[in-house]
Order: sequence, then structure tokens, then C-alpha cells
Amino acid sequence: MTEPRPTILVVEDEPEIRRFLRASLGAEGYRVVESATGRRGVIDAGTHKPDLVIVDLGLPDLDGIEVVKRIREWSPVPILILSARIHERSKVEALDAGADDYVTKPFGMGELLARVRVALRHAARSRVGTSILEFENATVDLERRTATRDGKDVRLTPIEFRLLTCLAKHLGMVVTHGQLLGEVWGPTHRNDTHYVRIYMKQLREKLEKDPVRPRHLVTELGVGYRLMTDE
Amino acid sequence: MNAPRNFAGYAWAVVATAASTAAALAMASRFDLVNIAMVYLLAVVVIALRFSYGPAILASITSVAALDYLFVPPRGHFSVDDAQYLLTFVIVLVVALVISHLVENVRRQAKAQSALEVEAETERIRSTLLASISHDLRTPLAVIVGASSSLAESGERLSAEDRHALAGSVFAQASALTEHVAKVLQMTRFETGTIDLDREWTTVNEIAGSVLGRLKERMATHRLIVDLPTDLPLVRVDAGLVEQALGNLLENGATHTAPGTVIRLSAQRNEDELVVSVVDYGDGLPDGDVEQLFAKFHPHPAGGTGSGMGLGLAICRAIARLHGGRVWAERVPGGGAAFRLALPIEKAPVVPEENYAA
Repeated sequence: MTEPRPTILVVEDEPEIRRFLRASLGAEGYRVVESATGRRGVIDAGTHKPDLVIVDLGLPDLDGIEVVKRIREWSPVPILILSARIHERSKVEALDAGADDYVTKPFGMGELLARVRVALRHAARSRVGTSILEFENATVDLERRTATRDGKDVRLTPIEFRLLTCLAKHLGMVVTHGQLLGEVWGPTHRNDTHYVRIYMKQLREKLEKDPVRPRHLVTELGVGYRLMTDE
Repeated sequence: MNAPRNFAGYAWAVVATAASTAAALAMASRFDLVNIAMVYLLAVVVIALRFSYGPAILASITSVAALDYLFVPPRGHFSVDDAQYLLTFVIVLVVALVISHLVENVRRQAKAQSALEVEAETERIRSTLLASISHDLRTPLAVIVGASSSLAESGERLSAEDRHALAGSVFAQASALTEHVAKVLQMTRFETGTIDLDREWTTVNEIAGSVLGRLKERMATHRLIVDLPTDLPLVRVDAGLVEQALGNLLENGATHTAPGTVIRLSAQRNEDELVVSVVDYGDGLPDGDVEQLFAKFHPHPAGGTGSGMGLGLAICRAIARLHGGRVWAERVPGGGAAFRLALPIEKAPVVPEENYAA
């Protein structure tokens, strides 16, 4: 192996959950560091310099959201949240506080590993940047501000471009309604969720092969959207 | 019978007597004494019907006393000239007692009956729940315990293929179990009223897109036709809950029709409601009251697993009601069933127009 193994820090109080995370992530070739408490996790994030942090939202000592905030104060490391159904709202709060993605408990390892790969790839790519988005039968060039579908030009509005740009910055990862509204329309519009619904509908009609069953502009109900491209 | 109601009964007995007396005084010049007695009798009957023995007896006594004092000669005295008036008194009293007795009996029976019905219903729910638990929960648990113990105890001696298959069934059964438990918890939360709606303006198309993504594998056995106009109005709903309701309707359709059957998901505006329909072309609905399908733990004629313990449609109904909407089932001419969810349409906020010029 020429590249060092990516290190993943798991901040989770349940030993049984840490056990299967350690086993599966280890089997996939990651080096796993475990913290059983939130405070320990914040310290370990500093000392181990992980490539990715997985944080459980239901920690006993320190709120998972607080862990995200404290790590974000000094580190851009990708953070994945593990949330239970009862944490619906704190999940969005944690994402707005700087977490990059989430998985809802109970989850299958397949789902978690997919999120881990996307987040690690994203961290590597954000130094390079993505400006060409490939859809099923459409292409968008964010830099040159052009879009084509089946070889023909498609007109996108400035807001539609800004929305795509914002989603592309987090390619493959969830972006909350609040983040999109704040970044595209400005901080005074953070609660105007109907704006983003209408625009996502327009974008889907322009770019998705089947707008009712979108493959690229994916809805994360109650949370936000996720841009998935064919790679 | 409680004290305030009893007191009110006695008060009404006096009021009724006074009212009869007023009526009787107005009639006195033109009507016979027999008819005047009837007016009092009417008051006694009404009180006996409405209240218990006590007020009825009080009404009889005050009525007879008033009748005697004011109308039976010699007037202005409680004495009686003619023996036949004694008979009048006795009859009024007996009528009051008989009616009170009858009413009281009917009341008691009704109370016992409704208590019995509630008990029977509770018992039915409890036994259906237990039956469902033993099937929908015990079967996956048995697979999980069995398969995982095989892996734990003789993992090395199993072929890679078997290990994979066993682990796969643990995963599948545990996932099914998770769904079941989530539904039971959800229903409990509806019943205890601990659900807050997180309403936001959204499109039904987006909710449908989300549910179609989630149930992709589940619905793969059927031919799904999606017919959603793109110009539907926005609705202000809890998207997560409506997604769940829609998912339950689709799963219900897939559970109760043969694989390969067409299931159609459509939506349309109907005056001030947005109606989302899941129509299947299976064997239609069972005979009898279709509303019963939405009852909690409604037993499935098909029986099978994956039914969510008969909670799916009950959850749909709870979600519809929380939104001020409704859900119902219809028979489709030519066989098949339509399940429809109607959500109220409110005046949606406007999104500013935008030009293409960049």
C-alpha cells in the first residue's frame, strides 16, 4: 500500500455499536480510533488527526451537536453523524453546525460505508473542485454557466446555477434547506423553504430524466437535498 | 348518579310543577278537571324520563298537591270531596314510579352494554396484537437468534456461501423487525398525542419521489405507474409523516395484490383538497364496511407478513387527521381498490419571478 490508511475516529458510547463499526471499518482497510465519550472524542480529534469523524448524536456526557461545533472550531475534517429517529431535529441542527452527512440508526454497514467513501472522496476533491456535473442525459458546466440536455442547450436561471453550485460543493452529501436558503437567497430567507422546493422542482424538470423519481437531485425529507452524479 | 345532577333533578321537578300549574290555571275556565290532571301527569312523565326516582316522586307529590289545592273542590283546601280524586292521585304517583323504574332499567342496561362493548373491543385489540406479535415479531426474532447463533457457534465450519446467506437473513429480518417496531411506536405516539407536526410548504411530487426511492425494492414486484401532474399546488404538511402515509398505502397495495399487478399512484386537485390516490387492480376490497380497514390491528384477510401488524392504514388515518385531511377506500369498478389521501390546500406563499438574463 503506497497511501497511508485513512484514520476514522468513532465517537460512540455504546460498546456493541463500536464493536461492529471497528470490525467493518477495519475490514475495509481503515484505521479505527474509538472514543466512548464526547469530551474524549474532541480531544482524540486533536491528537489523532483523523481523516473522518463519526459522531453519535446521543452521547451521555456531551451533546453530539456540541462535539461537532468544538471540532469545527479548528478542523475541516469530514464529520458523519449517527442519529436515532428520536433525534430528527437535532440531526438538522448538527448538520447546520458543520456536520457533513448523517446515517439514521439502525443502519446497515453498506449505507454507512457508502457515506464514508463519499465524505473521504469529498475531502480529497475539495482541494481540486468540481465544475462539470454529469447527469443521466444532461451536463452542467458550473464555471462556464452552460447546460445541455440530449445535446441541446438548456437555460438555467442564475438562482438555479447558484443552487447547483452550492449542492456541488458538497457533492454526494446532504445540504440542509437552511444552508441552501442562506447561501443562495441570503440569511434573511433561511425559513422560506418554499423557495427551494419550487426551484428544485424546476431543476428536476430541466435536468432529470424522470423528475418524479430523481436520481441526481435527491430529496432528504425533512432535512434537505443531496446531489448525486454519475461517476 | 352524582349529587349535582340529583339536585338539578329536584329543582326541575319543582319547575315542571310550577309550569304545569301556570298552564293549568290558564286552561281552568275552559277544560275539565280530567284534562287539567293530564297536564300535571305530563310534567311528571317528563321528569321521570329525564331524572331518577327521587325527582319523579317529588314531581308527583307537588303535582298532586297543586292539583288538589287549586283545582279539586273544595278549592283552597287539601281535603278531597270525592273519592274518585284519590284514585287520580294514586294513578299519577304510580305512573311516575313505573316510568322512573323503566327508564332506570334502560339506563342501567345501556351502561352495562357499552361497558361490555368497550371491554370486548379492548380484548379484541389485545388478542389481535398478541397474535400479531407472535407472528410478526416472533418469526423474525426466531430467524435472527437462530441464524446469528449458527454464525457465532459454527461460523468456521460453514461454507462461505452459507455464512453469507445466514448473515443476510439476520440483516433482512432485523430490518423488518425495525419497521414493525417503528410502526407500533408511531401508533402509540399518535394515541398519546405526543406528535408535533413539523409543517412546511412542499410539493407532493417531492414527497412521492422520496417514497418511491425508499420503497424501490419493496414495489419491484409490481408494475408501478406514476401519474403526477407537475403543476400541483404546494401543500403545508409534515413531509416526513405524509411520506409515511403514502408509503403505507403503496405497501398496502403491494401486500394485497398478486405480483405483477398494476399499482397506480396519482394526484389531483379537487377544489380545496389535494387528493393523492393509490389504485390497485387486484381482487378489490373485502365485503362489509371498508372504513373498518383503517381500524387499528385490523386483521388481514391475506394474513401474510410485512403487513406492519395491521397498523399501516390506521397510521395513515391518524396522519391524515392530524393534517385536517382524510383517507378513505373505494371499490374500483371492474375489480381493484382505490385508497385516497386528501390534504387541505391553503393559500401558498409566492416565490418571486426571476429572469434568465445572467
